Amino acid sequence: MKPNILDTHLLYKNYGPSVALDGVSLGIEAGDAVAIMGASGSGKTTLLHCLAGIIRPDGGHVDFATAQGPLRVSSLSESRRSQLRRESFGFVFQQGLLIPELTAIENVAIALMLTGAPRPAAEQSAAAWLAAMGLQGLEARRIGELSGGQAQRVAIARAQVTGASVIFADEPTGALDSATSNEVMDVLLDSTVRSSKTLVLVTHDQSVADQCRRIIQLRDGRIVSDSDTATADANRPDQASLTGRTQ
Amino acid sequence: MSSVVVPETRQRSTATVPFRLLWLLSRPGTSSRAVSVLPVVAFGVVTALMLGVLGGARSFWSWDDELSGIYRVLSGIAVALLVVPLLSVGGSAARLSARRRDDRLSTLRLLGATPAVVSTMTVVESTLLALAGALLGVIGYLAMMPALGLIQFRGEPLGIGSLWLGVPAIAAVVVAVVVLAAVSAALGLRKVVVSPLGVRTRQAAPKTHWVRIVVGLAVIGAVSLSMGMLSAAPGMAVVTGILLGGSAAALAVLNVVGPFVISVTARRQVRKASTPQRLMAARSVLESPKAAWRQVSGVAMTSFVAVFGGTGVAIADAAGSGASRGSSEYFLMGDIRTGVLITVLASFLMVAASAGINQAAAVLDRTDLYVNLDRLGMPESVMNAARIRSVMSPLLLVGIGSALCAAVVVFPLTGIAILVAPLSVLVIGASLAAGIVLVWLALMVTTPVLRRVLAGASAPSSSAAQ
Repeated sequence: MKPNILDTHLLYKNYGPSVALDGVSLGIEAGDAVAIMGASGSGKTTLLHCLAGIIRPDGGHVDFATAQGPLRVSSLSESRRSQLRRESFGFVFQQGLLIPELTAIENVAIALMLTGAPRPAAEQSAAAWLAAMGLQGLEARRIGELSGGQAQRVAIARAQVTGASVIFADEPTGALDSATSNEVMDVLLDSTVRSSKTLVLVTHDQSVADQCRRIIQLRDGRIVSDSDTATADANRPDQASLTGRTQ
Repeated sequence: MSSVVVPETRQRSTATVPFRLLWLLSRPGTSSRAVSVLPVVAFGVVTALMLGVLGGARSFWSWDDELSGIYRVLSGIAVALLVVPLLSVGGSAARLSARRRDDRLSTLRLLGATPAVVSTMTVVESTLLALAGALLGVIGYLAMMPALGLIQFRGEPLGIGSLWLGVPAIAAVVVAVVVLAAVSAALGLRKVVVSPLGVRTRQAAPKTHWVRIVVGLAVIGAVSLSMGMLSAAPGMAVVTGILLGGSAAALAVLNVVGPFVISVTARRQVRKASTPQRLMAARSVLESPKAAWRQVSGVAMTSFVAVFGGTGVAIADAAGSGASRGSSEYFLMGDIRTGVLITVLASFLMVAASAGINQAAAVLDRTDLYVNLDRLGMPESVMNAARIRSVMSPLLLVGIGSALCAAVVVFPLTGIAILVAPLSVLVIGASLAAGIVLVWLALMVTTPVLRRVLAGASAPSSSAAQ
């Protein structure tokens, strides 16, 4: 069993009167592929945002394992969390949300340039990643000149180019047809888990979730099932599986 | 199992549909306040400036000595120069109305509203916002009058009384601004496709062509040649004709060459960009060099005229007209310089209003992109620097380029002016610099819009996707 790269402890988050997270605790192993599922409003995107340091939880904490020891993400300042996202995490969103006026290679290179890399080196790495995504020859195309699947692969390259150890994906195939969706998931899994990186993915699509090793189900801000705990439960039937405490 | 009672549908008149929908959609929402406030402010600034300039021009029309004709012509030129940036602000405010209604308009189309209904709604909305802005502008004009009245012409303050345009003229300006808004909205809508699947800007922007630069250079060459022959001109009428024709040709050249020069410069900046903000700014300009040009073209004309006119005034002033102290001729040159400065600042104020409103609209338009760039870890300072640079870069290019263009056209005179009247040249230069700073300040004012958009991303109302 590998060590956890992300740990959450009793995460709470409210949006006004509505409860988004209601005491979520979980650990995510380094190199694992974890799918977070749930209906609309179940808290899955909020959980992903807390894990990635995009938002701060109202209660509880998130720890990210670094070479120097655990880093409490939820206690970092806005600018430090921003730096962490820039340097250690990668993101793939539903619509790619690439900068429309930039070319494919510039969209990828800009992620590296933000970390201070000089442009020629950034574009060299970007070109290598685009080639790895099967987009060789399309480097100079603007985003509007790419198909949905191609644009999403550019977004995956952008998430990977900085050498991020964790990739967060929010409905990465939500806007794609099923064939393109399978292609994109293949590329995403190939470039993360099969390269010993960690993938945390939010989806409502069971077929997408099935491609991940672990599936966590959320309802009303609580974990209602966890494929890892379910396996453990099979050996220890006395453990309650619906407590939302998986550690 | 309980049965569902389907309500009866009633047939109603379709003529009033746009107005009823407009009433329905005009109720305050989360983003509608900014959508409405921005055009209202822009139209308010435009109206106040227009009334102020017209008031000043009107005061010259009350004089009836031998020099009053010159004052009338010059004030007419100043007003004409301000029409270009005025149209630009009007057009951008109207387009903003259409673009900011994206979701609502496309939903209406999806529900079956015809393009005519959607167009009418947008035009009516822009017109109403313009009316509100114009009325605010009248208040602004009244508030500005004491300060404007202190400006000296012919050695004495204009006075509040001479700036008062009268109710009919003020009403006419308000109507003109409102009509302009309606026409701009109708024209602006031609660039926006409202389909049931969304609102998008037409992609059919023609590319800029190198032929523009050739035509431009040829005209500049011809103008420069004719300027060189000024001393050989047979009479004052011919000299005036050459000067006016030359400046008109040069202004036309600016319009032909402007977008091309902006495009070439932006392409070069894209190649050389070493930071994310420089790359994003240059790409953003290159996306539509014509739009970038439209935004700053008012400054091009004003910079040109400021240097062109300022040089002439400086030389005439230094040469001394021999007029006795206190006579009309004695004040003329100083008054022209004051007029040039006022026109420069008013023009920059309009460009600042237009740039501010366009940038605020652009931030609101690209909310999703900015929020996600923030999530990727792009610092707010980088996003801000990129969007400010995307306006300032063409502005500096156009402002300084036009000033240099004018200096080249009247080259021998510019050199003489620098030598004999350095202070006058410095004042013109300083007013151009102040104008550029003014536009930069207007862009900085829109920074909180970006900050609010980013802060709003983690606020409850926008976090629907839990």
